[in-house]
Amino acid sequence: MSVFLHDYRPYNGRLTSLWRRPLVLARYGMAEAWSSKITVGLFVLALLPIVVELVIVYLANNPIARALILRGNPVLTINESFFLSVLEIQCWLALVLTSWIAPRLVSFDLSDNALCILLSHPISRFGYLLGKFLALIAALSFITWIPCLALFVYQSYVSAQPWALDHLQLAVGIFVGAALWIALLSLVGLAVSAWVKWRIIATGAIFAVVFVPAGVGGIANAILRTKWGLLLNVPVVMTEIWQRLLGAPAFMNPRLELPNGAMAAALVVATLMCVAVLNARIRAREVVRG
Amino acid sequence: MGVIELDRLEVRLGGRIVLNGLTGELRGHAIGLLGPNGAGKSTLINTLLGFHEPASGGARVLGLDARGDRMRIRQSVGYMPENDSFIGNMSGVRFVRYMAELAGLPPNEALERAHESLFYVGLGEVRYRKINSYSLGMKQLVKLAQGLAHGPKLLILDEPTNGLDPTARQRMIQLIRGIRKEGSMRMLISSHLLRDIDETCDEVLILKKGSIAAISNIEEERRSHRNFIEMEMEGRTEAFAQKMQALGCECACFAGGRVKAVMPDAITARDLYVTAAECGVQIRRIQQRRDSLEDIFLRAMEYEGGRVEHVSLPA
Repeated sequence: MSVFLHDYRPYNGRLTSLWRRPLVLARYGMAEAWSSKITVGLFVLALLPIVVELVIVYLANNPIARALILRGNPVLTINESFFLSVLEIQCWLALVLTSWIAPRLVSFDLSDNALCILLSHPISRFGYLLGKFLALIAALSFITWIPCLALFVYQSYVSAQPWALDHLQLAVGIFVGAALWIALLSLVGLAVSAWVKWRIIATGAIFAVVFVPAGVGGIANAILRTKWGLLLNVPVVMTEIWQRLLGAPAFMNPRLELPNGAMAAALVVATLMCVAVLNARIRAREVVRG
Repeated sequence: MGVIELDRLEVRLGGRIVLNGLTGELRGHAIGLLGPNGAGKSTLINTLLGFHEPASGGARVLGLDARGDRMRIRQSVGYMPENDSFIGNMSGVRFVRYMAELAGLPPNEALERAHESLFYVGLGEVRYRKINSYSLGMKQLVKLAQGLAHGPKLLILDEPTNGLDPTARQRMIQLIRGIRKEGSMRMLISSHLLRDIDETCDEVLILKKGSIAAISNIEEERRSHRNFIEMEMEGRTEAFAQKMQALGCECACFAGGRVKAVMPDAITARDLYVTAAECGVQIRRIQQRRDSLEDIFLRAMEYEGGRVEHVSLPA
């Protein structure tokens, strides 16, 4: 099959192992996502707060700066609350990035009916989703737990007192909290993109899936005079999870605090719903029933 | 080892039996899958690729079980689907490289093969254009290129000439013939167009309402009917037939002066004219039978369930 001969020749070279095939999907998915200037813009935007927070950490640990600029202002104390706010900002920016990237990973394949050709290659539906999932996880990691942990390391480095060992829970909490969120976001992003197919609508639908249930939960709380509607409020549930993981002071009225088990159950239900949608939509062939 | 072995294969989709107890073995280099729309051709292909689970029975592709060895089958198979199926946002070369990498080729080899296969199918000059901008014929060709790029042992083409104009169709048929001639790859070609199968295949599986209506070796049929001729004559055809039989021909007369004959290799067309002159009859029309596949298909379409027929033409 040489270019100049224009004839066919069989391939007898080596083949990559099966477990590397999802990585091919992840690589091409990443390349597709990053080919957009908007993705780059959103990524830079998502890292700007980290730069500001880096300056705050520097100022908080520099005695001269504290004396001259801050004049002993305790606002800039680097503690659990500071890292909670850093994590919150980054995680909500991750939602914005997800709403842009996730539809680009899946919608092109679905709108051009490429799934049957993709899945006719030695890759399973699970492998396909794993590849897309990895692409999204990698992109989101760069704006969530990686910069947050970098900030933690920098704080440990510039702190005058031994700081890191006393705050190890903070590092673990940042990693686990961000990992939970980006895993959930990735699943929601892929499921919504697979369901909607149209990229622009999928972008809006991802925001809707996160915020509309919060409104429904609020209405349920008001009508039924209960707190369980908060389980539909993703921002509240996630903030409470992050607060507990980081050991930060509680921000909610104690009467409205949700038990860990209920929040874990809510996350599991959301995950199962996403998996069900993906199972229904990511198929090489659709079967018409009846 | 057969290319495809079917053992009482039954597939149900949406509660409906789509493939009903298919049994047979296909060994040809280029196997045609014929049948009217809705006969189950695409369902059979999807089942062989592992997209549909058999309700009972089984199928083997290149000796591998379609249920248990899906990944190994897909590794050995190149597939060109019937409908539009590509990533329109990608350039042709990037798409084919992507598919080759998914099939297990390392990135550099995949890129090299992508260029080669695009040149091979005739898309070399447009390989950097986005697939969205391709014409329908070019989209068919890029699907073929991605099916070839990883050098499969079996190439499955589902309606490869669908929607093509005569020139593009001829180009596609020539490509398929070229691949068949090269010989390293078996092919399964699904079509509802007899002509496509006739021009490219040496074996045919005919499906009708989810059942096998016929399995036939077209090459053998062609060979056995190479000397079969039909004539229209004026005069006493019985005398002509008797004289031809004396020369070793199988000959039969029909109403309206029609005569059918199977001639031994030793007898030529000249002998026909000489015999006709001797008998005082005129040969008004003489036709060598070439449409064996059409006969096979028509006979298969008359078949109603029951035993699988290994169809051959009437002598």
